[in-house]
Amino acid sequence: MSPSAHVPRSMSARTVSPCSVTLRQTGETYVCAAGETLLQGMLKLGRRGIPVGCVNGGCGVCKVKVMRGRCLKVGAVSRQHVTAEEEARGVTLACRAAPQTDVEVEVIGKMQRGFVNLIVGSGPAAG
Amino acid sequence: MGVMRIGHASIKVMDMAVAVKHYENVIGMKVVHTDPNGNVYLKCWDEWDKYSLILSPSDRAGLNHVAYKVEHDADLDVLQQRIETYGSKTEMLPVATLPFVGRMLKFNLPSGHEMRLFQQKEVVGTDVGSTNPDPWPDGLKGAGAHWLDHCLLMCPLDPEKGINTVADNCKFMKEVLGFHLSEQAVVGPGGSIQIAAFLFCTTKPHDIAFVGAPTMGLHHVSFFLDSWADILKAGDVMAKNRVKIDVAPTRHGITRGETIYFFDPSGNRNETFAGLGYLAQPDRPVTTWTEDSIGRGIFYHHGEATESFTTVYT
Ligand code: FES
Ligand SMILES: [Fe+2]
Repeated sequence: MSPSAHVPRSMSARTVSPCSVTLRQTGETYVCAAGETLLQGMLKLGRRGIPVGCVNGGCGVCKVKVMRGRCLKVGAVSRQHVTAEEEARGVTLACRAAPQTDVEVEVIGKMQRGFVNLIVGSGPAAG
Repeated sequence: MGVMRIGHASIKVMDMAVAVKHYENVIGMKVVHTDPNGNVYLKCWDEWDKYSLILSPSDRAGLNHVAYKVEHDADLDVLQQRIETYGSKTEMLPVATLPFVGRMLKFNLPSGHEMRLFQQKEVVGTDVGSTNPDPWPDGLKGAGAHWLDHCLLMCPLDPEKGINTVADNCKFMKEVLGFHLSEQAVVGPGGSIQIAAFLFCTTKPHDIAFVGAPTMGLHHVSFFLDSWADILKAGDVMAKNRVKIDVAPTRHGITRGETIYFFDPSGNRNETFAGLGYLAQPDRPVTTWTEDSIGRGIFYHHGEATESFTTVYT
């Protein structure tokens, strides 16, 4: 049984309830606890789909676009990776975005397949 | 004569208050100065110059510049000549461009990274002083790092287009700045492509390192600890402080160093690095890591580089 099943959904109007997250490309879904970022929720459940890097808004690998629903920005997002125009269109970093409603997101960030990584990376090169 | 050691790194942070807390409580540095633009200057206890880290407020993460210290003031003129002759532009920044620092020679490495050389920085002494000193001071916080040890820069590399700024940087550091190559990683036919280079100007295995990447960036700044026990304690400090650890305690084949990689609150990668490794000397044969063993070179026990380690940087 999912631990989130025990969270009373009607606790308070001010408390954000757990929100379900759907990744558009893979159809993967998971639940973020109240206040958790998209990336924290995924990591906590041992799920995959969004690339994970610094988890602190600086490296840009977790870049996503929120297609449906609403997220709260919970920290600085590097302008090197998300421009103001992109942000206005719902693009953000999954490690800095806490869902406020059920959301559907498109994963934009990709692990750059750097030359070193092609040689030493443990997995097959992803498309 | 020439370059002695790393002097400081200037890095961008997106939230100054949490950045300062991280470098104080996790690394164990002390704030020594804040300038009117909000830049914060920090020092490790075993360093004698005024500071080794500048945190500058920004809307992004990454490196502003890295600075190395030369022995004599006249070295700056000699090296300026040499760099210009090599074909790179230079600029001599006047005294006090940075607080407590004399004139600085500014230029870009072939990879594009800004480097500066200086000779004067206010000397304030280590936290144990120079007269009958204790081996360590009381009141150390966090990992209690001794000093800023080295940095690793991500350098544009695209063999298909004939671009290899790892090799270009390596040549520049050797021929112009008098560094020596201690270790390298090579790939391709006959090991013809140098994808990583580790260079020294002290007697440690490295004072700077270059690794190939799609774009220019900062891979990490590294702080020195004495021993494996200190590395494990640093890991505890990180766990206590909920720091995002990238690579848990392990050993590098390259340099023999013991290590933890982790991220500061803006996503800049840090390393705590222990062990002096071996005596690095100009006549020591260069260690080469071949294509089939690069994973062991990077992380000796696991034998594979993790994906985030090779692809995530600021
Ligand atoms: S993981 Fe680095 S920006 Fe989100
Ligand atoms: Fe390092």
